[in-house]
Amino acid sequence: MATISLERVTIEFPIYNARARRLTGELFRRTIGGKITSNVSSHVSVVALRDIDLELADGDRLGLIGQNGAGKSTLLRVLAGIYEPLSGRARIEGTVASLTDITMGMDLEASGYENIVLRGVFLGLHVSEVRRMIPEIEAFTELGEFLELPLRTYSTGMLLRLAFAVTTAVIPEILIMDELIGAGDAAFVAKAKARLNQMISASRILVIASHDVEIIRRFCNRAALLETGRIARIGPVEQVVCAYLGDDSPQPETQREIE
Amino acid sequence: MSLVGDAPTGVPRPRGMAERVAAAGSDLRRGLAEWRIWLLLGMNDIRQRYQRSRIGQFWITVSMLMTIAALGGVYSHLFRMSIREYLPSLTMGIVVWALISAMVMDACTVFTGAESYLRQVPMPKSIFVHRMLVRNLMTFAHNVVIAPLLYLAFGTWPGWPILLAPIGLAIVTANGFWIGLLVGTLCARFRDLPQIIASAMQIAFFVTPVMWKADQLPPKASWVVDLNPLASLLALIRDPLLGTVPKTSAYLIGTGLLVAGFGVTMFVFARFRARIVYWL
Repeated sequence: MATISLERVTIEFPIYNARARRLTGELFRRTIGGKITSNVSSHVSVVALRDIDLELADGDRLGLIGQNGAGKSTLLRVLAGIYEPLSGRARIEGTVASLTDITMGMDLEASGYENIVLRGVFLGLHVSEVRRMIPEIEAFTELGEFLELPLRTYSTGMLLRLAFAVTTAVIPEILIMDELIGAGDAAFVAKAKARLNQMISASRILVIASHDVEIIRRFCNRAALLETGRIARIGPVEQVVCAYLGDDSPQPETQREIE
Repeated sequence: MSLVGDAPTGVPRPRGMAERVAAAGSDLRRGLAEWRIWLLLGMNDIRQRYQRSRIGQFWITVSMLMTIAALGGVYSHLFRMSIREYLPSLTMGIVVWALISAMVMDACTVFTGAESYLRQVPMPKSIFVHRMLVRNLMTFAHNVVIAPLLYLAFGTWPGWPILLAPIGLAIVTANGFWIGLLVGTLCARFRDLPQIIASAMQIAFFVTPVMWKADQLPPKASWVVDLNPLASLLALIRDPLLGTVPKTSAYLIGTGLLVAGFGVTMFVFARFRARIVYWL
């Protein structure tokens, strides 16, 4: 059983000016600052999320929509446990995989095989578990002997294939995605889609942020519309999507983006 | 996104200190349990640095030998000591000092250097402190091979006190852990701290008996060494390598520093652990 529960979560980022970034500056402010400077706030902060309440349980597939800067990515990071709220509460139970950067932890100087192990360990596996998965990943990537070579010799497409193959080999309870990930040329795309679909349906909770409402329609059973850091609307996909697109705009094809 | 000058009021600050200490403790526990990750990361740091050079990571050893040869040649004349008398203590001093000072300096980038990981994956923060320790212990392992070379060259043997060297190394490394956690956290917030620490370590190198011997000081100036905790840490490893037993006071200062350091660090880390990601 996986659950996510956010209660009045507010996320603020302090924007320090150059002086507050300096220890020497802070010390002067605190010791000899006196009245005048103590009235001047040392930093401005950006409120990325404000008073978010959210409950998710097994079977929930939540789509996040909203304009750039509405707080989608920040919310995904809260759900992944990266930003612990300093105000409000977040309880996340279950193994989480956040597919926001699938190449994270890969080492360009190491070989493909070494990187499979490296990436697998980052995904929470034991080295022996990853080794067992190598044949399957090897077959999926179709990279053959390239796996013996260091990653810096790979093309971008090849690198993504490898990253995709390893990342999707482990199925988490809670799956978090920023846009749908995909990799490779036409032939590979079909294979990748099938594998990703399998991963999505095997996970207990899915949260995906996308500008493409078709993706939300296809994968989600709930949707939330974010506006300036607040959940403006949450509910059945069709209702929320309509609110996002505006009632009078022509329906599906408006926001299409290339995958 | 909106800009405001002050934190919103009225929302309860949810975490009490007890809860924060528990969260920090859990970070340390989980960090230890993830030894596979930090071992891999630390080893990769070394490998990556020297991968495409011919003698690989033994550049570490070679550059250390060159430093020792240059300093030994000049300073034995300056101090009017024979090479035989001066070189062993200089060598072991520099090898051990390199470990201590690298740990302190590296502590500055423990979290700022791990930004790409910390902003993508919810990992225990302490993993990156262990990574820093692994990296520096690996470097030390490459440097310490100079010790047996020295015994061979001078036909000396340190005897049983050398068995105390691992104990000293353990005390120094444990101190390195809290330093990494504390300094790493503070450096994420205050970006001029690395420069301040670099200057401080530069000065510390000259006032710590690395290039000179503590007994060269007149008694009335011996406080320079006695009150310097880095001198004690240095002695805990260097003296056994030279075949002498470190003073009891060095053990007391080393462990006292450990206890006090961990106390302060746990307070700071518990208080600010969750904020580190926001500062990056």
